[in-house]
Amino acid sequence: MTTEQIKIEHVNFKYPGGEHPVLNDVNLTIQKGAFVAIIGGNGSGKSTLCKLINGLIPHYYVGDFTGSVTVNGLDTKESKVADLSHHVGYVYQDFDNQLVRARVLEDASFAPLNFGHADYKERGKRALELTGLTGHDEEFIWQLSGGQKHLLALAGAVSLDPDILIMDEPIAQLDPFHAKEIYDVLKMLNEQHGKTIIVIEHHTEFIADYCKEVVLMDQGNVIWKKPTADALRLVEQLMERQIFPPQVTQAAFKLDTFSNKSYPITLSEALGLFPNQVGEEVAAHGPTNNSERAGRQSIVEMEQVSFAYKTITRSKKTVLNGIDLTINQGDRIALVGNNGAGKSSLMRLITGLVKPAEGKVMVKGKNTRECSPEKMADFVTYIYQNPEEMFIEDSVRKDVSFFLKARKVPEYEKIVDRILEQFELTSLQERDSRLMSGGQQRRASLAIGVAMNPSIILLDEPTANLDIATRKHITRLIGTLKDNVEAVLVATHDMQLVAEWANRVIVLKDGHVLHDGTRESVFNNRELLDLAGLNPPQIMELSRGLNMSPVCYTVDDFVAAVNKQFGEENNDGIQTKII
Amino acid sequence: MEYRQKLFDKLSVEQVKIELLNTAYGNDQTFLAKLDPRTLFIWYLFFGFAPWFIHNQAILLGMFAFVVVMMLIARSSPLIIFILCLGLLGQGGYLLLAAWFFGGDLSTIMPLLILTMKLSIISLASISVFTSMDPEKLSDGLLKVGVPGQVSFSISYAYRMLPSLIEEYHHVFLSFRLRGKAPEKHGILYWRSIAYFVKIAMLSFYPLMLSTSKRARTTVEALETKGSFFAFNNPKVKAIKLAHLTFRQRDYWFLTFSLLYVISLFIFGILYS
Repeated sequence: MTTEQIKIEHVNFKYPGGEHPVLNDVNLTIQKGAFVAIIGGNGSGKSTLCKLINGLIPHYYVGDFTGSVTVNGLDTKESKVADLSHHVGYVYQDFDNQLVRARVLEDASFAPLNFGHADYKERGKRALELTGLTGHDEEFIWQLSGGQKHLLALAGAVSLDPDILIMDEPIAQLDPFHAKEIYDVLKMLNEQHGKTIIVIEHHTEFIADYCKEVVLMDQGNVIWKKPTADALRLVEQLMERQIFPPQVTQAAFKLDTFSNKSYPITLSEALGLFPNQVGEEVAAHGPTNNSERAGRQSIVEMEQVSFAYKTITRSKKTVLNGIDLTINQGDRIALVGNNGAGKSSLMRLITGLVKPAEGKVMVKGKNTRECSPEKMADFVTYIYQNPEEMFIEDSVRKDVSFFLKARKVPEYEKIVDRILEQFELTSLQERDSRLMSGGQQRRASLAIGVAMNPSIILLDEPTANLDIATRKHITRLIGTLKDNVEAVLVATHDMQLVAEWANRVIVLKDGHVLHDGTRESVFNNRELLDLAGLNPPQIMELSRGLNMSPVCYTVDDFVAAVNKQFGEENNDGIQTKII
Repeated sequence: MEYRQKLFDKLSVEQVKIELLNTAYGNDQTFLAKLDPRTLFIWYLFFGFAPWFIHNQAILLGMFAFVVVMMLIARSSPLIIFILCLGLLGQGGYLLLAAWFFGGDLSTIMPLLILTMKLSIISLASISVFTSMDPEKLSDGLLKVGVPGQVSFSISYAYRMLPSLIEEYHHVFLSFRLRGKAPEKHGILYWRSIAYFVKIAMLSFYPLMLSTSKRARTTVEALETKGSFFAFNNPKVKAIKLAHLTFRQRDYWFLTFSLLYVISLFIFGILYS
């Protein structure tokens, strides 16, 4: 199993028209059967490196290319992209655009058909079977969920039975449950079918659980390739590049009790290494904060609301049923639940874009049924999951001004200046928002929302699709929103955001409110978490596993709690040292 | 209020998307949909073009009856039929008014009505045929009759992208509504509101262009790796891809029946006149 399958030697590459080389004297060898994660900051050349392997560079992108790349003994310079496709399958980050046929089986068997395999349908079916999509053969692509589309893109790559599979950020848009599903498929392909798997990944916790090796890239260089455990323990090197190791590793790093740097990288490892506390068991159902909420002014009231939409087959699909909900001043609500639980529909009801089938939605005393969305926009701002869909002008500044200008607000330019400042967009204000990076786009969409000066702001998955460093930045900015508006409602899978920011958590499942309470009441309720398919942050799992009370929500909390405990024990004369 | 709401429901972008997709892909179980695309091409070649050269009213009437039955068998989308009727009635009414205005009588209107009849036959024939062929079938059929692979692929790809594009358009449109300001007063006959909606409906197209070109990059790369460019005009691939197209008994029956119907129609029409 130690054959060198991919060999990249002294490769330099510059995109046509680019100023700087994207790859700088890159050397990398990957063995057959490896499961490799490529990590690195934005613009470090990760995607470019992967496109070397399937021959898109230098054949499709004809830039300045030197050096040599060998895949399965083929020199990529001498081989055609089409030939290399039999050796390398590639799944893009925007995998949606990779699906080119209307039906599932047609798409999965597209490549085998193109290469003239008479049994193309069987090959397609086999690929669907491998990715767990059997039974969806005749469905249309637009009927699939995001997770299923991703699996289909993978099936398309697997259909030619290549030895190597590359996935660019496989789980960026998925909830934790579906993310695990994708990685389980990759793991199976790796272990049972001997495929070499290469992923570009930001989520180090998934890397720790699934990948065998890690390649670190920085500014077009491959810095090193190491076994996963060794790689993730180099906390300082990673943090320097804005890559965050698993929370348990960060915690161990911050506690100076780990002398030999044998930090844990997974939860199960950590549970054995940190001291177990015999604190009293936390009450399984913590207090809800209903009593505290009483007396505050309500902003949104929903009474027995149900909502259904028409599907492609002209049948109605009920997404929300019997929702009773009041949103009050000062609420920072996290709306959680799996994909398809009804989170986006609930938000759209508040904006007045859609009307409930039954029941009523009152916003600031106005019934949405009787008001147009334009009218509701005076009180409600909805920030889309995909920021690009919010950009209707050709510069950031114009987009931020749009609402104020339409309403002829006096001296709106000053307000715009202030908001651009708040979201660190002043230097970008003349740029076209659609051409900015993911994090910048997200900031622009927040600025657009705040410029509308609403009573309540609704955010749909504000931290999805971002690398961890940008995600932290956005989380911080969301934290400042409470100074601008009376209430914030965030639909999210990002449990870190929920833990650090929310003061009220609403759990949705299958169109019902499963739970409504404080974050403690959610994260201390194992049954609820399992039922709703939620994955609490790792550090929280750890502190609960160690019976710590109260449960810690952040790494810093955890470190402080453990240090305090050590302090106490040391005062008792008991020496603790973890080896 | 109630009626207006219902009308808006029918006219929503979402509804248009559903109707379009159903027209394109929804009817794969009808008799016509099970025919070979080439059968439909042959049939269409006659019913789509011949009416221009026929002036016999009886024959036209007979053809009209036939295409109406075809349309019923094809189970076309009600929305499309509604739009068609609206167009035809509008045109008929306009002709009637014009004829009247210039002092004509029934004899002036007759030739105009015949023209409308011809147009109806052609439109109904087109609707029946295209509802019965989903884009895949159409593109396979075209490929079979010798149209280049790129063209036939583009047709099926365009339909594959249609729902995503409509959805994105819808979101941009809603962005305008969520941040814009609708006119305070509706104006006479709602003209202010209508002007407002027409304006944002047009503006919403611009942001789409850029995002589409961004999407295209991944798609073209994917097509490259999936060997499409290699396959477009490769005879072997074409043969495998089109192996499922065969004339069956029902194709022969259908063509024979159509032929007999048309022949007897001509005999009857000529005798009658």
